[in-house]
Amino acid sequence: MSVLLDAAVQAGPAVRSVPALVDFPFAEGYVTSVIAVSLYVSVAAVALSTLFGVPVAIAMGFADFLGKRFVKSVINTGMGFPSVVVGLLVLFAVSNRGPLGPLDLVFTREAMIVSQFVLATPPVTAISLAAITGVDDAVGDAARALGGTRVDTALVVIKEARYGIATAVLAGFGRAISEVGSVLIVGGNIVGSDGVSKTRTLTTAIQLEARQGRYGTAMALGAVLVTLVLLVNAVVVRLGDTGAVNR
Amino acid sequence: MIRLDGVSHAYGDDPVVEDVSLSVEPGEVVAVIGPSGVGKTTLLRLLALSVRPTAGTVTLDGRDAWALDDDERLAVRRRVGMVFQDASLFDATVERNVEYGLRIRRPWAERVRDQVRSVLGDDTIPEAVEEALDVVGLADALDQDARSLSGGEAQRVSFARALAYDPAYLLLDEPTSDLDPRNTGLIEAAVREARDRGIGVVVATHDMHQAERVADRVGVLLGDGFTEVGPAETVFETPADERTREFISGELVY
Ligand SMILES: Nc1ncnc2c1ncn2[C@@H]1O[C@H](COP(=O)(O)OP(=O)(O)OP(=O)(O)O)[C@@H](O)[C@H]1O
Ligand SMILES: [Mg+2]
Repeated sequence: MSVLLDAAVQAGPAVRSVPALVDFPFAEGYVTSVIAVSLYVSVAAVALSTLFGVPVAIAMGFADFLGKRFVKSVINTGMGFPSVVVGLLVLFAVSNRGPLGPLDLVFTREAMIVSQFVLATPPVTAISLAAITGVDDAVGDAARALGGTRVDTALVVIKEARYGIATAVLAGFGRAISEVGSVLIVGGNIVGSDGVSKTRTLTTAIQLEARQGRYGTAMALGAVLVTLVLLVNAVVVRLGDTGAVNR
Repeated sequence: MIRLDGVSHAYGDDPVVEDVSLSVEPGEVVAVIGPSGVGKTTLLRLLALSVRPTAGTVTLDGRDAWALDDDERLAVRRRVGMVFQDASLFDATVERNVEYGLRIRRPWAERVRDQVRSVLGDDTIPEAVEEALDVVGLADALDQDARSLSGGEAQRVSFARALAYDPAYLLLDEPTSDLDPRNTGLIEAAVREARDRGIGVVVATHDMHQAERVADRVGVLLGDGFTEVGPAETVFETPADERTREFISGELVY
């Protein structure tokens, strides 16, 4: 018994030295503010991407319209579009000389939302579309044969595609929260004089720590980022598994 | 009465059925028999107004369905129920599946309210749903996930789904292909019962014995049309057409 206790006491200093090893030389509230900025920007951007991309996918899945192939190729190009270029274009758009200049958005979280929206929309749309067109035709046929209108049929197909659409939203969130190039350009990686993040996200913070050689800190922030992504995934999967969606 | 008059249908260039005529009265069972790939499913889809014929007319209770506007055709179409060869159930509970036909016939305000209620876990199950499931012997399966059913159970739920909203005509595509003799008997009894309630039933089947058991009239689909349509006894015992005779004697061997 006492041997065990001794061991525990001896282990004490080692345990306490872990923070020193990782070295968190930050003001209070810094890390939480960085997490908050990351979440705010990504969640807002993905919400907008979903509001925009899912209806576009639905329209493309159910209707034939002029320019459909053009929209498709825009989405496909958008999937592979370099994020720094998106950042650059958004920065120009919000700059004094750009079309959004009057809104005064340079180096703001809102400008970051715009760029993350542009980046997340193509995967959200493309994966939603794949999910919708992937639904077995028999399902729509059955809805129709049971007396469904075009709207009823579309609703049934969208409902069948719900897991695929949830995956699309998650993929968009994953892209938005783990992206570094455009948020750096558009947001400027700014921390206020009070040590609270204005436009610094987890990714740009990690990039900064790594550049300054504080690998332990960078790694710890990386772990926070991974945890966040996993957490959001788990929540969405859990929502899908509860009966509510099956109704 | 549903009538096909000189109906043809082609998916590509070659017509699957050509110049086909058939009528189904309320309160009778018509069996459509024929080899695989001959166009039985296509014929049922034409009757269900889910595909438009490339030629000819489909008349339902005296109205030329494809001459109507969309709303009128919807009203006509809703008098017909179809059960598909593969059950094609929705990814939801058995209850939600069977209720589907009833649900979409309700006004939107009511549908939204019911949806909210059901998400909150407050379901009132329509009597028609319970009755239809009872008919196919699955009254206990209400809350089961449709994707977890066996093939035969799914087929029976699919049948109940079309029965629940009480259509005037019922089109059944191989309704017992996945069923054991007991459940086949259950479905055949349900078909007779539907007929006795005045529903006009069309059964497409490979199973000639089933046609003999349930049908008042039989249509033999060979090539691109019917070689013979007539009372069941006549078609099976004294077919007029040579190809029909060969087909029936060939199939009845099994
Ligand atoms: N959606 C479709 N597109 C193109 N061809 C089709 C389609 N549906 C059916 N066909 C073709 O039309 C023909 C008739 O098909 P149908 O499904 O009506 O036959 P069936 O008599 O029901 O066959 P089975 O007894 O095997 O179910 C087949 O040659 C099939 O390949
Ligand atoms: Mg078939």
